[in-house]
Amino acid sequence: MSNDTIEARRPGALLQRRRAEAAGWMFVSPAVLLFLVFVAGPFVFAIVLAFLKWDLLTQPEFVGMANFERLFSDPELPGVLWNTFVFAFASIVTHLLFGLLLALAVNSLISRVVGYFARVAIFFPFLISWAAVSLLWKYVLDPTFGYVGQYAAMVGIELPNFLADPAWALPAIIFIDLWHTLGFTFIIMLAGLQTVPSELIEAARTDGASSWQIFWTVTLPLMSPTMFFATIITFIGAFQIFDPIQIITKGGPQGSTTTIIMYLFEKGFQAFDMGYAAAVALLVFVIVMGVTLLQFLGRRRWVHES
Amino acid sequence: MHKRVKGLAKAAAVIAAASMMMAGCTAGGGGGTGAEGSPDSGELSFVYMGDADQQKAFNALFAEFNKEYPDIKLKAVGIPSGNWATFSTTVATRLAGGQKIDIIQVATEGQRLFASKGILTDLAPYIEQDQDVVDDYWSDISPNLQKFNEEFASGPDGETVFIPGGFNTMAMYLNTSVFDKAGVPIPEDGNWTWDEFVAAGKQIKEKTGAYLTGAGSGYFVDVMPWLTTNGASTFNEDWTKPTYNTGEAVESAEFARSLVEMGLAPKPGGQFDGNTAFKQDKLATLNGGRWPVLGIRDMDMVDKTVVVNWPTQTTNGSPVGWDAWNITKNSENKQAAWTFIKFLMSSEAGEYFAEIGGTIVPARESVANSPAFTDNAPEGTVRLSEAMSFATPIPSIDQGAESQKVIEEAWATIIAGQGEAQKTLDAAQAELESLVGE
Repeated sequence: MSNDTIEARRPGALLQRRRAEAAGWMFVSPAVLLFLVFVAGPFVFAIVLAFLKWDLLTQPEFVGMANFERLFSDPELPGVLWNTFVFAFASIVTHLLFGLLLALAVNSLISRVVGYFARVAIFFPFLISWAAVSLLWKYVLDPTFGYVGQYAAMVGIELPNFLADPAWALPAIIFIDLWHTLGFTFIIMLAGLQTVPSELIEAARTDGASSWQIFWTVTLPLMSPTMFFATIITFIGAFQIFDPIQIITKGGPQGSTTTIIMYLFEKGFQAFDMGYAAAVALLVFVIVMGVTLLQFLGRRRWVHES
Repeated sequence: MHKRVKGLAKAAAVIAAASMMMAGCTAGGGGGTGAEGSPDSGELSFVYMGDADQQKAFNALFAEFNKEYPDIKLKAVGIPSGNWATFSTTVATRLAGGQKIDIIQVATEGQRLFASKGILTDLAPYIEQDQDVVDDYWSDISPNLQKFNEEFASGPDGETVFIPGGFNTMAMYLNTSVFDKAGVPIPEDGNWTWDEFVAAGKQIKEKTGAYLTGAGSGYFVDVMPWLTTNGASTFNEDWTKPTYNTGEAVESAEFARSLVEMGLAPKPGGQFDGNTAFKQDKLATLNGGRWPVLGIRDMDMVDKTVVVNWPTQTTNGSPVGWDAWNITKNSENKQAAWTFIKFLMSSEAGEYFAEIGGTIVPARESVANSPAFTDNAPEGTVRLSEAMSFATPIPSIDQGAESQKVIEEAWATIIAGQGEAQKTLDAAQAELESLVGE
């Protein structure tokens, strides 16, 4: 006998359940509405748009699969995807590595005051807007007047022109992104570290394990779910990078910092090719979904879940 | 449960369809006919490019208009986009989003784009309606400006869709205190050659340590002046073929690079603050059209600045871009829009705008030569207006933003020393050819 049948036999039970459901819907309705208007609606719109040729100013024209076919023959796209994956991969590696190292360092600080200060100091750049950060680093890396170049010159080192050299521009953006966003990964790592039961560490220490062994066999496995989360979040964030590139290099020099979202913006809002831009947006969606799915499939190999 | 999911999907589809309908209905408004409205009342939406610095002057101008036409509620929206390509994109997006705009102030870089889309009203009936006003205006502006407006900013069938407004040519603002300290004379008649420019720069560098000029890659302010003063341009005269890799263009780019190599301009790739350096006597020249005057006034440098022509290699040259006003087909108040355009064409408005800090050269020559424009401005300011006689309209094809990116990117590569000039401009030329061929 199903629960529904039992409830229906109780007087007023059905009505009560309906009321509870209605209340539930009422509470979630603002979120659902926002989701429909700002996520689901535009997503469906993007799918429709990808089948059109539309320059914003004149009537859209149906072009079938032409925009998707163009994705495979676009000579610029491979370079753009390469830049994006390099940026995303570098972000994951640097953020996880330095985030974890900083979290370990701060977690082991004995002084509370110093610990609080370190937390704030490391997280602080993340609170600054990308626009301000971008302009700040344009000044800092200025080849003539920038602090970096001037200090290097004082010790006799001649640095490359970071933002004007195609070989250095993307690494420079990766570094700036690390400086700005590391605080977020650090906080996640720190939170993860603090969930590692101290009893386990104490037990390992009693058994004579060295600090390195404790880290490798106790801390790291227990941190792996946190690291898994950080990996996913960092990849998605990195794949969406736009603001600093638009402000600092505008995708240059020579396209060396043009990432996929920058390219999407160029196609949609500079070339007025909204249909193709929508196709690129769907490609981004597929890639992000695909990589995230692969990450989930591979998690059993390294994520400690018990 | 299954039903609920279906319901949600339906709702999403309805929203998407509604978005599509909204976009479809408003896109371009090519078929929209709008309405005539009343010439002295109603609501009017005017979109223009203006950053926070220029906002005060624009607001004062609008207030002046409302003194005369209190029943026209002017909703003026300044878009601080920084360049005309971004401005055009922003306006196009707003139109697509359903925003009602009666008049769009568009500069040369976006005029052909808007004109080619068939979204602007043919102004012939309005011109005919007020022929005397328009004739008075035509007779007081440079014939070149009128000619350029016809050649480059007509509608798809040759109709007049724009009335040209103020313009900007390029000149150099010389810091007389740096020139004096270095013992370099200011070019007396405002003309000097590339060689004289370099010689001055070397002496200035040696005697004062100041930079001669900035090194940028802005299409209008950095690329075109060096091209036009060497008889080159990015496109041919009717903008049908790119000419970015001619010998003259290559020579211009190499010259711009040599300024960096000689240490006369700071290395590109950072955030060089020209105004501050100019104020601190660490920079000898500021480059620009009329717009640097606001900064020069703020820095209290008007009396220490002289405007001269851009240095030349073969001939005097300058790019020119001009504002132009139109009435959109979707406008519900075309008569009021025309009233506002007539106001903008008037001597009074030109003088008022020039006095309160407009960042353009007034279209009316009588205003450009009047104290309204030349007072509280550096000596030689009138050269900006005179430059119209030898100026080249900044080539702005339909794919303006894309071509601008290609042009600027190539120039930036060369002046940063990251690519040989001929090779880099050849590659850019190929890209521009593909854009024109599209």
